[in-house]
Amino acid sequence: MTQETLVRPVAQSPPVPARRRRPPSFRRQGGAAHVFLLPFLLGLVFVTAVPLLASLYLSFTDYDLLHDPELIGLENFQRMVSDERFWASVGVTLRYVLVSVPLQLAFALLLAVVLDKGMRGLALYRSAFYLPSLLGSSVAVAILWRQLFGHEGLVNGVLGWFGVEGESWLQNPDTALSTLVVLNVWTFGSPMIIFLAGLRQIPEELYEAARVDGAGKVRQFWSVTVPLLTPIVFFNLVLQTIGAFQAFTQAHIISGGQGGPLDSTLFYTLYLYQQGFQSFNMGYASAMAWVLLVVIGIVTAAHFLLSKYWVFYGDER
Amino acid sequence: MRAAVRHVVMCAFVLVMIYPLIWMVVSSVKPGNLVLSEPGLTPSEVTFQNYRDGWNALDEPFSLFFLNSLLVSVGSIVGNLVSCSLAAYALARLEFRGRKLYFAITLVSVMLPLHVLVVPQYIFFSQLDMVNTYFPLLLPKFLATDAFFTFLMVQFIRTIPRELDAAAWVDGAGPFRIYWSIVLPLMKPALVTAAIFTFIWTWNDFFTPLIYLTSTEMFTVPVALNSMMSSETANGVGALFAMSLLSLLPVLVFFVTAQKYLIRGISTTGLK
Amino acid sequence: MNPVNRRRFLQLVGMGALGTAGVTALASCGGGSGGTAIRYAWWGDSNRQQKYTAALDAFVAQNPGIEVRPEFADYDAFQERITVQTAGRDVPDVFWIPSPQVMSYHEAGLYRRLDDIPSLDLSAFSPTLIDSYRIDGELNTLPRSVLTAAVRYNQTFLDEAGAQLPADGAWTWDGLSEFLIEYTRTASGGRKGIHYNAQADLCFEAWLRQHGQDLWTADGRMGFEVDALAGWFEWWEVLRRAGAATNLSEQEGAQPEWPVVGDKVLMTFGNSNHIADEAPMFPDYEFGLRPMPVLADAAAGHRFGYLSRLAVYQGIDDDKLEAAGRLVHFNINDPAILGIVGLSVGAPANPQMLQAAYAVANEDEKKMLAVVEQEMAEEQKPRYEAPPGSGTWRTIMTRGVEEVALERSSVADAAARVVADIERELGRAS
Repeated sequence: MTQETLVRPVAQSPPVPARRRRPPSFRRQGGAAHVFLLPFLLGLVFVTAVPLLASLYLSFTDYDLLHDPELIGLENFQRMVSDERFWASVGVTLRYVLVSVPLQLAFALLLAVVLDKGMRGLALYRSAFYLPSLLGSSVAVAILWRQLFGHEGLVNGVLGWFGVEGESWLQNPDTALSTLVVLNVWTFGSPMIIFLAGLRQIPEELYEAARVDGAGKVRQFWSVTVPLLTPIVFFNLVLQTIGAFQAFTQAHIISGGQGGPLDSTLFYTLYLYQQGFQSFNMGYASAMAWVLLVVIGIVTAAHFLLSKYWVFYGDER
Repeated sequence: MRAAVRHVVMCAFVLVMIYPLIWMVVSSVKPGNLVLSEPGLTPSEVTFQNYRDGWNALDEPFSLFFLNSLLVSVGSIVGNLVSCSLAAYALARLEFRGRKLYFAITLVSVMLPLHVLVVPQYIFFSQLDMVNTYFPLLLPKFLATDAFFTFLMVQFIRTIPRELDAAAWVDGAGPFRIYWSIVLPLMKPALVTAAIFTFIWTWNDFFTPLIYLTSTEMFTVPVALNSMMSSETANGVGALFAMSLLSLLPVLVFFVTAQKYLIRGISTTGLK
Repeated sequence: MNPVNRRRFLQLVGMGALGTAGVTALASCGGGSGGTAIRYAWWGDSNRQQKYTAALDAFVAQNPGIEVRPEFADYDAFQERITVQTAGRDVPDVFWIPSPQVMSYHEAGLYRRLDDIPSLDLSAFSPTLIDSYRIDGELNTLPRSVLTAAVRYNQTFLDEAGAQLPADGAWTWDGLSEFLIEYTRTASGGRKGIHYNAQADLCFEAWLRQHGQDLWTADGRMGFEVDALAGWFEWWEVLRRAGAATNLSEQEGAQPEWPVVGDKVLMTFGNSNHIADEAPMFPDYEFGLRPMPVLADAAAGHRFGYLSRLAVYQGIDDDKLEAAGRLVHFNINDPAILGIVGLSVGAPANPQMLQAAYAVANEDEKKMLAVVEQEMAEEQKPRYEAPPGSGTWRTIMTRGVEEVALERSSVADAAARVVADIERELGRAS
């Protein structure tokens, strides 16, 4: 990539004297670090780790929430192999991750760049675009979505002008998942804000330096904005991917917790929820959660490995 | 001229994006029984009855739920900003044994679906006799358990050129000085972002308050909203819309105010 | 200041946030009377929240020394919360039991026996009735109300079309089907005969019992065979193919919602109690209610009512038992509660209360009471509750309905799949 080679010289010539002193000794920072980390470590032990380990233990048990858990070895994991609905939920989730994450991020980045500067009334536009995300997971969204994609919804109304008679998009197993992708893209506000904040973090001096070097607007974008934004792109990518793997609320609200029609919106986590809280198979649900954790872990690790090739940190030496 | 064209394009786009909300606003002033049976943007009759009904739908007025939500949201913001920025600074900048491990655990805790953690966490808080108090909602925030924000802040700190704190080291500043007077001011956009998200997510959170807050006078807005429409009969849609819209206002106001502070971080700190 | 308020006060002050908010919030917590505190959990919509809160206040006023801590949520949310509470063994003292969970909770030992609490008077119930409430021979739950399967029709639409429902003698499944097809053929405004509601579980159960089968058996298994389910699917498919029932697209799903279909169809299937809540949504129409159609050769004792139950938690403190008994007594025996909460949960199970209910019922509720009374007056063979592991049978059923109504599989295949899936879930739980 040619941008890579363009990037480094510009970005690495900040108007500050280069690092002179090695950071202080290991031990001294270790002590300080643990003071900073005190709340984090308390939370880690009491709020995170204990429930985390408990769920790991439960994944090897038969636990119906009402009786004491009973160890059954790997049975929960074996059961997944032959569970049709489990595989249906895997398929739905993978399709959702692959389609909705890139779409949402591209959309968010585009609008963040457009809404960053150079226009009057940007604050107003930003707020307007953010509005859908504020609505969050309200029960009202289910009704809104029916108003858009239902049998008598807006989309079919528009299609009607062209003489096409549409069915409910939500009740068709071939299109129901797409409406959830649209919902996810519609609520692109969070990654957009993170991108905006990232854009704001780029030192103006770097642009000045680039201008001094004779770089135009486009060149500045590719050689300053893009490389310096990569940690933020990376953050959004990692977190939105994790979020999409765990997608739950949208399908829970719009399909009324069923994941229908015909399991076409049965997200992994929704199935996990059904198993845990409706069938009372909390052992199985925990096992499913840990399988998901391993999968997400592998995907995230891959993201981190690949990040060496495209993410540029301001603190790299 | 070019600016005008841009504005027209933007406005059109905004309209498309917020059409559903406009529909919701219009629906909220229709008589309750017409909301679903008479869709469309032109109400045949305008009334604010839905707002009155919604406000008094439960035996406590809705203002109480707003105050409860505000209490939880503001508490969560304070908790997250303090605890996550402390942890993030250590993870991003200090060198110590176990740094990578801690960072990995932070990430792992984002990866496990919430639903399998609910029961063990509930047992924990119920044994501390904290059910039906706000502690189960707030305590975790003060202990940096929202790994999303720790990770977010780590990423932001890492975009800050290390030369800045290296210079401070030269001047003899310790880690706390550097955290307080260099890193924190420079990561203002990240702090504002974290504040915005914490506010919105806490404001909209349903499952945790539902589980822990049992008495009506403790309800937060989403729990109250959820009880307004019966899942058996779908009554009360109009009131639900009205109160959902009202509950958007605080977050919107907060967002509009906070986003102003997403100003250029570094350029204003006199880095010369 | 009672303990709740004091604790809340400490929280608010302790957090040091929002001083004024704290004061306002405090001011709005009504003070209880202190003394024995009973946790009472129920579900519903905001309307029911208000009415039952008022009823509990009236109870507290009647019973000095008892304080009631209400725990309210929407039906689905209620189940989520009580499931977590059960896992943490932190269960409300008196609670309503959602229908899919009756037996799961029983097997988990959540219910305390109710026939030895002096403050709970059971004299209004005949020994036969009491026996019909027992689970595994134990009286550990009591019915708050009775729901029956019912057909609701739009009298206004009937009048407009100049049509009349089949007379009682012709009120059969076939007769109804023909009538609906005929109605749709002549109806104005694209109206249809009925919504597509193969999902309505009480109505399906009525169908099964008339065919001599059951939804569940005494020993916690499925009580019906593939053929009976296939016949049920087929009854709906005939209507759908004839255009007399709305399709899944038109009604937005396999579980049609009243606001969506209410003004599109002549008739809906459902629970007897819903008419009182739902009729007001379409104030221009007059609605009527009837029992389910009956097979010409229906099995004896097929009539039934679903008992909506409440229970006292097994782990309740002994010193609270007397107060809990009084609260249960108030719920099932005291006519005063009817005047406050109305009849949205259905007809009272207590025969004396049922008669008292006519005095407080509105026109729609009177129709409901009449239908329930008529059904309950008939001979009934026993009915068994859903066993553990049946928690997802509705989800499985929904998929079956979708397969059939979306023409993804034949009626016979879909029915076989549903039966196999439910059986597998039951097998897993045992």
